[in-house]
Amino acid sequence: MHLHLAGHLAWYDAQKRAHLEIHLAEPTRLLTLLRQLGVPPEEIAIVVVNDAPVTLDARVCDTDRVELFPPVGGGSA
Amino acid sequence: MSYGYTGKILRVDLTRATIQIETRDDAFYRLYPGGKAIAAYFLVRELPPHTEPFAPENRLMLANGLLTGAPFSTATRYTAAARSPLTRAYGESEAGGFWGPELRMAGWDAILITGRAESPVYLWIRDDHVEIRDARHLWGRDPLEVQETIRTAHNDPLIRVLQIGIAGENRVRYAALTNDLRHFNGRNGIGAVMGSKNLRAIAVRGTTRYLDRAYDPQPIAELGRALAQRVKVHPQSWDLQDKGTPGLMDSLNAAGILPTRNFHQGAFEGIDALRWVEYEKHLLTARRSCYACAVRCKREVRLDGQVSAYGGPEYETLDSLGPNCGIGDLHALARANELCNRYLLDSISTGSTIAFAMECFEHGLIGLKETDGIELRFGNADAMLKMIEMIARRQGIGDLLAEGVRRAAETIGGDAREFAMHVKGQELPMHDPRGKVGIGIGYAISENGADHLTSAHDPTIANPDSITFKGGQPLGIEAVPSRELSERKVRNYYILENWTSAGKVLGLCFFGPAPRSFIQVDEVVGAVRAATGWDVTTQDILRIGERATNLARMFNAREGFSHKDDTLPNRLFQPLENGALAGAFISRPDFERALVELYRLKGWDAKGTPTREKLRELGIEWAADSSQ
Ligand code: SF4
Repeated sequence: MHLHLAGHLAWYDAQKRAHLEIHLAEPTRLLTLLRQLGVPPEEIAIVVVNDAPVTLDARVCDTDRVELFPPVGGGSA
Repeated sequence: MSYGYTGKILRVDLTRATIQIETRDDAFYRLYPGGKAIAAYFLVRELPPHTEPFAPENRLMLANGLLTGAPFSTATRYTAAARSPLTRAYGESEAGGFWGPELRMAGWDAILITGRAESPVYLWIRDDHVEIRDARHLWGRDPLEVQETIRTAHNDPLIRVLQIGIAGENRVRYAALTNDLRHFNGRNGIGAVMGSKNLRAIAVRGTTRYLDRAYDPQPIAELGRALAQRVKVHPQSWDLQDKGTPGLMDSLNAAGILPTRNFHQGAFEGIDALRWVEYEKHLLTARRSCYACAVRCKREVRLDGQVSAYGGPEYETLDSLGPNCGIGDLHALARANELCNRYLLDSISTGSTIAFAMECFEHGLIGLKETDGIELRFGNADAMLKMIEMIARRQGIGDLLAEGVRRAAETIGGDAREFAMHVKGQELPMHDPRGKVGIGIGYAISENGADHLTSAHDPTIANPDSITFKGGQPLGIEAVPSRELSERKVRNYYILENWTSAGKVLGLCFFGPAPRSFIQVDEVVGAVRAATGWDVTTQDILRIGERATNLARMFNAREGFSHKDDTLPNRLFQPLENGALAGAFISRPDFERALVELYRLKGWDAKGTPTREKLRELGIEWAADSSQ
């Protein structure tokens, strides 16, 4: 499974990676997976699996492309 | 004894070529501690009503925040203000970088400039030494050359140069200022006002550290050390350092609120080429910072194999000249960014104006004759680059587009008015209020026209368990979904507008204080206490922010602005055409009810003017009389 941790969600990966390859032996609930990875659900605004929006209750499998996006604030410096 | 601020304001009359030093006491600074508050105070107090923006009498204010130059992250900002040539309202724009802190080190809280020099000049300030110098040899030159020339002339490579470019010289109504070539007071056309005064640059060098003027330096130094550590463990701040604002492209596109094709759409089919991974791979050379800021969210990029002297594109620039013009060519956008920053055009208004012109072209309202043969269609990157040149030089149709979308639409006529995405004449920033309605309230009500930095963005305070919401909680907000337009949304907006305005008075970057980022509410209050010795509370800080916006609002009331100007472009009340929020629109009745509720909370009358009671409560009743 390919996982994209957008924005500040990449911080929660121990190596601060935005893109990860994860092997899933069987279909897994996203919430369960996030708990294992240490990414807090309250920091996630949008979940997209294979280009379609889903909720954190969705199950994902090894061939899926999963993208997690944080809530986004102001964009100017 | 005064602490934190210097108590000194520099007055320059360019017509008479005179320089005066003005001192103000502690009572003044308690009401108007810096930045936006000082700027609004002098503009309401001293600018004769109905002064034309390009008249010599217009005031150009440069005002440091109370904490600007304090050695902790994000205390970097100063305000540039004047009556805006774009909106004809109270005009202001904040920037970080190095110039504000240097001005503070030179011993000045603010500079108030009036008049017009007979021929181009620059101002040279070294501590107490102030001089008006000939700049005829600098006029028409690139900012890099101007900065080098000034540093060489005074034999000091650490001089900080604030300047305009040829867009300001040519009075493009959305001309910007820059300091250190990479930090911009972009909005509201303050650069054009500076150009109208024949003032090319203000060069500063100072020698007194902020902490030498602080009431209690210790807590400020400690805050600086704590924040430098916290950047690594605060996810949002880490993200700003890692990706900077360009990292937002991905997430806003996924959320369906990435303005695309002049706000018709909220998602861009060519996003893959504009994602952060591409930016990092093809453009990024380094991460840089503003004065003493550990966040380091600024990007350095390469262009044609060389590091650009003008910094890398921020999110706003990438989207306004990119997807909002239907363009997904990252290299063209890096080039466009460099052009805007070299000519010193506000990249938000430039992109919005080009998107507007593209829509006019596609609808046949302007043709090849007007564009000198350029196919000005959505997606044409070469045309976009050419337009930037033509606008900065006011060539061909660039002369019309240099006036901004409101004036251009009036000239073009017909449906062009529907394509002009502006509020009070200022082009919309790259945040679609259909996905975060509080931003729409801010666009509508802001005294300086559409502005995305008047309050926290809705998504950051939507989830009660999120880091950002918890950061803002001590201010008394509640968690409200991004698209909910309700009384509680209005209340949040009101509280966070006061807080954000206070940031502009204190000189803190939007990325500093919670809820957006990592400085906690009590730490902001603590920094003010340590800097000044004032016994202030969170409520006092909110009031400082509220006072500044009320003063600016009184400026506008005097110039004839009222509730009828607090609007949004029609397009935002219509459905988004694609993306995650396809079909979403803002309900006009809900929006109008929200504004009525906001006026009530703010203590404004039905016309949107602060009442005398409100002004008295804020300690500025004088403004009720001076604004008639
Ligand atoms: S957060 Fe970024 S823009 Fe703000 S002061 Fe720091 S480096 Fe500058």
